[in-house]
Amino acid sequence: MRTILGLILGPLGLSVLMSGPAGAGPLDAPGASKALACSACHGLGGQSPSNTMPIIAGIAPWYFKKAIEDYAAGRRPSPEMEPYAKYVREAGIDDLAAYFASQSRQPTAVKVDAGAVERGRVASQQCVVCHVESGKGDPAKGIPDLRGQPPGYLANQMLLFKADQRSPGDPTLKALKELMKSVPDDQIADLAAYYSSLR
Amino acid sequence: MTRLTRREFLRTSAAGAGFGFLAAGCAPAIKGDFAPKAGRRVVVVGGGWGGATAAKYVRLADPSIEVVLLEPNKQFVSCPFSNLVLSGVRSIDGLTFGYGGLRNHGVRIYHESASAIEPDTGRVRVGDGYLQYDRLIVSPGVEFQWEQVDGLAAAQDRVLHAWKAGPQTVELARQLAAIPDGGVFVLTVPPVAYRCPPGPYERACQVAFYLKTHKPKSKLIVLDANQNVVSKAALFRAAWKDYPNLEYRASNKVVKVDPSVREVTTDLGDRVKYDVVNLIPPQRAGTIAAQADLVGADKRWCEVNHLTYESVKHKNVHVVGDSTIGLPVPKSGNIANAMGKICAVAVVHLLNGKEPPAMAPGNTCYSWVNDREAIAVVNAYKIEGGKVVQIEQKLTPGQSAQWAQNADGWARSIWQDILG
Ligand SMILES: Cc1cc2nc3c(=O)[nH]c(=O)nc-3n(C[C@H](O)[C@H](O)[C@H](O)COP(=O)(O)OP(=O)(O)OC[C@H]3O[C@@H](n4cnc5c(N)ncnc54)[C@H](O)[C@@H]3O)c2cc1C
Ligand code: HEC
Ligand code: HEC
Repeated sequence: MRTILGLILGPLGLSVLMSGPAGAGPLDAPGASKALACSACHGLGGQSPSNTMPIIAGIAPWYFKKAIEDYAAGRRPSPEMEPYAKYVREAGIDDLAAYFASQSRQPTAVKVDAGAVERGRVASQQCVVCHVESGKGDPAKGIPDLRGQPPGYLANQMLLFKADQRSPGDPTLKALKELMKSVPDDQIADLAAYYSSLR
Repeated sequence: MTRLTRREFLRTSAAGAGFGFLAAGCAPAIKGDFAPKAGRRVVVVGGGWGGATAAKYVRLADPSIEVVLLEPNKQFVSCPFSNLVLSGVRSIDGLTFGYGGLRNHGVRIYHESASAIEPDTGRVRVGDGYLQYDRLIVSPGVEFQWEQVDGLAAAQDRVLHAWKAGPQTVELARQLAAIPDGGVFVLTVPPVAYRCPPGPYERACQVAFYLKTHKPKSKLIVLDANQNVVSKAALFRAAWKDYPNLEYRASNKVVKVDPSVREVTTDLGDRVKYDVVNLIPPQRAGTIAAQADLVGADKRWCEVNHLTYESVKHKNVHVVGDSTIGLPVPKSGNIANAMGKICAVAVVHLLNGKEPPAMAPGNTCYSWVNDREAIAVVNAYKIEGGKVVQIEQKLTPGQSAQWAQNADGWARSIWQDILG
């Protein structure tokens, strides 16, 4: 018998929620209680246990806010995130951005194939000009951190860029999308495995 | 953090660890105040989607508060994804979890049913004994209105609902697998309000998918008491184009069942023969909610405060999940989970003499339309003038494998949120 909860609970610490300033309750931080609506998909404290839902624990506030505004405006089409982005705006985007930024990010528990990681490492030379060698990105240029995200999520986003479905027509993403169009789908899977494996 | 597996659960309960001594059968008689209260205490009635979440989150929000959970079942079986057990796409084992994670949070669990609630004295009755509470959270799910369908009460063992995941789900899957090729499967949908608005239609997809694949000469007849598909109508109707073996009849309320001649009768007087029937009965709040006078004039559902989930009828008693009415939300597991969290935070604030924060729930209902594709409806809410108000409802543009993968991600996250 498969013990699904054993798999899905993984090694995450509940300490994410429990930590807080001494004296204050763990859910007292502004944003903590508002973020409870997100754990149904993104996991407790944003530490998603699945392959499809992105980890938002430790997300940089600038990127959190950009993502929320893009979803709310329909630029990043997502039937799940469009309504929730509007919820975030109602509840207070700054509180939620601060809350998720304060959560420590654990890399995904989803396993990747070592061969794919190695092929992805080689292929990532096309990406380092923007995402830099470490995969950490560059806030000054609006480049997000890709390290440790679930591979399924990373691959999906690359496919959305490739098909110009994420932020269609956005001139600032032209170079990225031109590049993605030249990347074959199996290489996209390798790149996803590689960036997912980075720590 | 401790891993929580079904195997681990079975091991600990077999060893008599935890509070298993009160398990039905071999238990010493419960008498008097069987667990005297030392500090502040919240008692939770029902360890399903709403109650288990609430129990965990009271402990997370304030570990100085004692939490006692009453739940007769030793295992949690997820209704979400249980329609996939009928088509053989998932196994019931994969939807079955223990309560070890809640114990790790310090929740004291008694596998017993609450038999009565006494708001005046702040007591919950369990047989001949009782427990004292400062605040009570009730999440007993739904009870069936057997009496609404003639012949149903006497035929409960043969005419299955499979609307509480567990043995009935497995038995209905067996009946479906045993249907002769060319046989008729009748699925009946109760009038609103009932648990999981899209659930019956997802089930129709899974049964039709199974029949199409394994019994190509068989057909499925859906008798719906409602005037149209209650949820995601356009998406379900589009999905049904793949199922010429599915016949949908709106405004056909089943009022009688006769298993001796394998026949149901509708309010229009039509008689429909079946080889296998799945009769989902009309529903109301869990029995304890009615007994405790938490239900409104309709005698079916419990009205609550939108910020704290405190009953409008009894102080210090909160109701969450399917038993509630009056919020613009569906009776879904996602909503029960959201209510459990919000209620827990509110209860902790109230016990600490603080004003509860205004928090709105959120909802996503994924439905599988075959073995690899799903559709979804998503609702976002806000609080306005002390009430829950919908901001937006959004549907998936169609069915796809992507939404099915997201459904899987949702299930993993939310099961962990409830029990992990
Ligand atoms: C086939 C099907 C598919 C579904 N799919 C989805 C889906 O995909 N997504 C979704 O969000 N929702 C789905 N749902 C709906 C979801 O299962 C319910 O909305 C959810 O379970 C409601 O939670 P609850 O806490 O109110 O009730 P439950 O989860 O039913 O929990 C109630 C608990 O209370 C216990 N109890 C009752 N009386 C007492 C008592 N007197 N003392 C102690 N304990 C008691 C019961 O044993 C039970 O464990 C589905 C439902 C079905 C039937
Ligand atoms: C029903 C499931 C669900 C819920 C609930 C949910 N999300 Fe999401 N979220 C998703 C999915 C799916 C994606 C990826 C969508 C895409 O393809 O861009 C996502 C993406 C995101 C991203 C973008 C991450 C990145 O790296 O680009 C952010 C930020 C985010 N969600 C924040 C939130 C917040 C905050 C909440 C709670 C208010 C929330 N989400 C609730 C499903 C959900
Ligand atoms: C020209 C600069 C540029 C190059 C080259 C580039 N990217 Fe990006 N990438 C971006 C920017 C900018 C974003 C953020 C887009 C947004 O704000 O919506 C991004 C976002 C992403 C995301 C989504 C992250 C998330 O959390 O949603 C993935 C995945 C990604 N890039 C992968 C790659 C890979 C793999 C390559 C190499 C094949 C690559 N990128 C090359 C600029 C670049």
